Amino acid sequence: MIAVLGLVIGVVAGLLFEPTVPVSLQPYLPIAVVAALDALFGGLRALLDGIFDDRVFLVSFLSNVVVAALIVFLGDQLGVGSQLSTGVVVVLGIRIFSNAAAIRRHLFKA
Amino acid sequence: MTSRHGGLPTARVPDASMSLLNDVARTPLEPAYQTVADQRAREGRRRATVRYRTMSGLLAVALGLATTSAALALRAPQPAVLAARAILEKQIGERTAAVDGLRMQNAETAQKIAALQATVLAARDSPLVEQLAADSVLSGASALTGPGLRITLSDAPDVGTVVDPDRRVQDVDLQILVNGLWAAGAEAIAVNDHRLTSMTAIRSAGSAILVDLNPLVGPYVVDAIGDASDLQTRLARVSAGQHLATLRTTYSIGVDVSAKRSLELPAASLPELRSASVPVGVPLLKGSAGAGTPTGSGSPSEAGAG
Repeated sequence: MIAVLGLVIGVVAGLLFEPTVPVSLQPYLPIAVVAALDALFGGLRALLDGIFDDRVFLVSFLSNVVVAALIVFLGDQLGVGSQLSTGVVVVLGIRIFSNAAAIRRHLFKA
Repeated sequence: MTSRHGGLPTARVPDASMSLLNDVARTPLEPAYQTVADQRAREGRRRATVRYRTMSGLLAVALGLATTSAALALRAPQPAVLAARAILEKQIGERTAAVDGLRMQNAETAQKIAALQATVLAARDSPLVEQLAADSVLSGASALTGPGLRITLSDAPDVGTVVDPDRRVQDVDLQILVNGLWAAGAEAIAVNDHRLTSMTAIRSAGSAILVDLNPLVGPYVVDAIGDASDLQTRLARVSAGQHLATLRTTYSIGVDVSAKRSLELPAASLPELRSASVPVGVPLLKGSAGAGTPTGSGSPSEAGAG
C-alpha cells in the first residue's frame, strides 16, 4: 500500500505546489498522462482482483510513462510522431476501457 | 461411425487475423500482477526491507508529482501562445498605423505633385494643361464637383426568413447601371463614394459586392456627373433603363432616381504608371538619373488595357 500512499502524497503535493514542467518535456506530456492513467486503472483492477502488488504497480507505472514518452520522441525523430501517438493512444485507450469495465463488474457486479 | 468431421476438428480461431486487437482487449491487465500473485501463493509472503519500502514510497511520490504537474501543465493555457498572440496583435497595430501614415503621406505628395504640375505647365503650355485636366477627369485622377444624377438601389425587404438572392442588389445590376450611365454620357461615376475609372471592376465575392476590391453594403448610391435630364432620358432609352424597371417591378428592389444640383465625387485611387515615353523633341531634365534615355516602355495597348 506504500505505493498508493506515496502516489496520493505526490498528487497532493503537485496540486499544492504546481511545479512547472520544463518546456523540452512538453510534447511528451499528453501521452505520458494517458499512460499513467492506464497504469492507474490496471492497478485498481489488480487491487479489486486481490492480486495487487506495490512493485508491479510502480514498475508498470514508470515503464508505461517512460515508454510512452520514448515512443513519442522516436516518432518525432522519424517524422511519424502524430501517427505513433495516435497508435499509442488507441492501444492505451482500449486497455483503459477494458480495465474500467472489469472494475465496473467488480464494483457493481454488472 | 464416420462422419463428415472425419479427422480432428481443426481448432482455428475465426478471428485469428485480429489477434493483436484481441490481445489488447482481452488481456488489459499487466500479466506481471498474476505472475507475482502466483509466486506469492507458492512461496509465501516475503518481508519487504525498509530500504525497499522507502525507495518504492519515494518513487510513488515522484510519479504522482510528475503526473499531476504534467496534467496541470496540459490544462493551463499556454503562456507562450498568449505571449505570441499579444506580440502579433501589437505588430498588426503598428503596421496598420504605419500604413495609414504612409497613405496620408502619399496623398499629400500627390497633391503637391498635382499643384507643381499645374504651376509648371500653366506657365509654359496652356493647351497641355487643358488636356491634362480633361484626362484627369476621365481617368478619375482628380475629384469632381458638378450637377448630375443620383440613383439609389436598395435591397428588397425580406419576405419571411428566407433570404432570396434575387431580391438583393447584385453586382450585375450595378454593372448594367454603370455601363448604361457611361453610355448615356456621364462624365464621372462613383458608387458609394468609390470613383469608377476605366480600370475599376464591379464584382461580387460571396454575397458582398466589391467595387475596386472594396466591399460595399447597401443601399448602393450611384452618382453620375453630367446633365441630369439628358442622362435620365438617355438612360431610359438604353437597356439599363429596362433593367431598372425590371428590378423595381419584378424583384421589389428599391430604385430611386433623383437629379442633384451638386454632386461631389472623390478622386479614384492613384492610377499606376504602366507605360511612359518621352515625346520627340522634349529636352530631358539635366542631372536626373538615367538622363538621356527614355524610361519606361511598353506598347500603347498595354496602357489602355482593361
